[in-house]
Amino acid sequence: MATLISRRTALGSTLAVTALSAPSIAQTRDRVARVWGEPGPYVGVFTNGLNEWAQRNAPGLRFEAEQIPWDQVYTKLATDLAARRPPALISVESPIAYQLAAEGLLEPMDEVNRNIRAAERLVAGFTVDDFGTWKGTQYAVPLHHQGCLLVVQSDAVQEAGLSDPATWTWQDLLNGARAIQQKRPGTAGYTMALGRNLCGDYHVQQFIWAAGGLTWDPARNFETVFNSPATIEAYEFIKELYATMPRSAVEFSFLQVVDQHVAGRTGMSAYWGRTMGRAADEAQPIFRNMEYYLNPRHPGTGQSWSWTDINGWIMPRRNNAFIRESKEAIAHVMNSPEWMARYTNSLFPNVGPVFKDTASDAAVQRHPMYEAKRRSVELIFSGYVPKACNSGHELKRGINPLGGIGHGRNVWSQVAQRILVNNEAPRAAVEWGHRQFEDIRRENRRLIE
Amino acid sequence: MRLRLTDRQVGVLFMLPFLVALLLFLVWPIAEAVRLSFVRYNPLRPEVQPFVGLDNYRFVLEDPLFWESFHQALIWTGWSTFFQAVIGVGLALLLHQPLRGINAFRGLLLFPYIVPTVVIALNWRWLFNSEIGIVNHLLLQAGIIAEPVAWLSTPDMAMASAILLNVWKYTPFVVIVVLARLQTIPTELYDAAKVDGAGALRRFRDITLPQLAEVLAVVVVFRTIWTFNKFEEIFLLTRGGPGTSTYNLALYAYDQSIANLRMGVGAAAGVLMLLVLLVASFLYIRLTGFGREDRAA
Repeated sequence: MATLISRRTALGSTLAVTALSAPSIAQTRDRVARVWGEPGPYVGVFTNGLNEWAQRNAPGLRFEAEQIPWDQVYTKLATDLAARRPPALISVESPIAYQLAAEGLLEPMDEVNRNIRAAERLVAGFTVDDFGTWKGTQYAVPLHHQGCLLVVQSDAVQEAGLSDPATWTWQDLLNGARAIQQKRPGTAGYTMALGRNLCGDYHVQQFIWAAGGLTWDPARNFETVFNSPATIEAYEFIKELYATMPRSAVEFSFLQVVDQHVAGRTGMSAYWGRTMGRAADEAQPIFRNMEYYLNPRHPGTGQSWSWTDINGWIMPRRNNAFIRESKEAIAHVMNSPEWMARYTNSLFPNVGPVFKDTASDAAVQRHPMYEAKRRSVELIFSGYVPKACNSGHELKRGINPLGGIGHGRNVWSQVAQRILVNNEAPRAAVEWGHRQFEDIRRENRRLIE
Repeated sequence: MRLRLTDRQVGVLFMLPFLVALLLFLVWPIAEAVRLSFVRYNPLRPEVQPFVGLDNYRFVLEDPLFWESFHQALIWTGWSTFFQAVIGVGLALLLHQPLRGINAFRGLLLFPYIVPTVVIALNWRWLFNSEIGIVNHLLLQAGIIAEPVAWLSTPDMAMASAILLNVWKYTPFVVIVVLARLQTIPTELYDAAKVDGAGALRRFRDITLPQLAEVLAVVVVFRTIWTFNKFEEIFLLTRGGPGTSTYNLALYAYDQSIANLRMGVGAAAGVLMLLVLLVASFLYIRLTGFGREDRAA
């Protein structure tokens, strides 16, 4: 006997079945905790470690890596906060951690840092506060560090008859870059990023600090002190140095500097560990002659500084459903020597280990690049650390939540562009920058009061 | 009881999805942008939005970068639209010829229009890289240039390169529209002109161009609006640099909103852009006499 089902009955039954099964479907579906990190495999490797914890301790929870360039964190965070769905975890450079902490947007992480004994394990020269502490509360868990150094092709230095780059001052750098340019026509002597971007900001700031300049002075209630003679001197030097660079350096960002070096089109450059990794993968002759040095010292102050990505895990406080689990998962990975070694080895030697035990781990020291370039790798991993600072902790004189906002506007590199592209006098361009920084301070006074 | 709808009600019913979409995706965002332009809004603190009156507009109008961006937006839009119209009409005339395989050419011409902008812009960055780009390499090999050209590193060249990209990508749109119109021009007009002894140039000036006038008016308005508002090409190709030499108003609004976290100022810049385009389009339509013939009829 055939049973006739009306359309109304069919639709009604389907609706009822769906409604009744919805709770069970919801229960069996994975809960996804989003993890933001910079482009590169390392955030994926760390996330695998977080998932190992999740599988054992939180069935149904899955950590998922999302790669966000650092200068996109603002955009992404602003839209996600507005939509009330922030990520569970963000791996971020300390200037933005300080800013978000001062805005009151972050979850305190003191407990995690205690659980992983961060203070005792940190590589000499770093403190937990460097990674994201604001007004005594720790908002970041140390993750990795990357310092910007002088990358040199030894063969180019030898051909030009130059002295040991480890002993160089600014004048030696300038003379060396000129000599390389003369010896190798068509090749730049030195390359740095001078585009209106983060990399440009970072490269420029190293020179300002070496000359003794600052943007805001934490000791004087963050007064804007950008227009000092030291800052003007740094920009004047960059202008001189520009003559030894590719003309297109005024549009360079991170990738272009690495390309330039790995393609053999410069004798020296300013960069982090990635240039060595790329050369090892793509250009063995360049890799064989590559060495890293501390940035040349300012002849007057004797100072040399490295713009350092002091990178930590931070956690949005509001609408974050994964705070407890994420904290436990981070502690699980960071207490595991295997995971930390795997993390360091994931983009060698770009991911500087924050812990002494990781830096001395046999699995890290057995890496072929470590064995081939021990002196340079040890400089990248720990040797430069006493010279490490960034725009959120200029000259290590005090933590400053305004640095990230300055980078959002690329003021440091814009000043360089006004000098190099618009032919503005360094003093006038620096005065323009000073006004921008003063605006930032005025608009964000609430963060520093 | 059966529900009987009048034709008018059925018409309204069919239009309803469109009206809802229009309200949701056009009217509401514009209204929200206008509202935002009167408040101070930091996206990291969305709960605090004090009313600031005309402060955001005052900020924008007193900012030298806004006027610099406005000037550059005019150059970028003007040259891009001009070249698109000229090259587009030229290519459409060529593709209107009854040649074998012409359909394949017509299809290929759409390629730049189809490829996503992000792919094109990033490829162009590589092609025009002054150090390792293929364009300089080929020009050097051919002996056309003696040293690499800084395509994206000097203000004039960067603007020219950005315009070149825009022209390359959007000329196909002009071609499609103009070609469609060309195919509807009665051939009798050309035959009669030939009989009267009119040459090719004369036929183009007195028949083709007047027939294309209305469609070109529409194309120019659309291309002007879309180019003036363009963000992603310049952002991906030059980020407004070097310096601020290729900064346009869309980039200005973006940077104010996102980089500077001044959402209200960004919204005010957007509202000003809307007003500029409304006034310019109105004037242009009036000057070209678009639709005048229809009204006369």
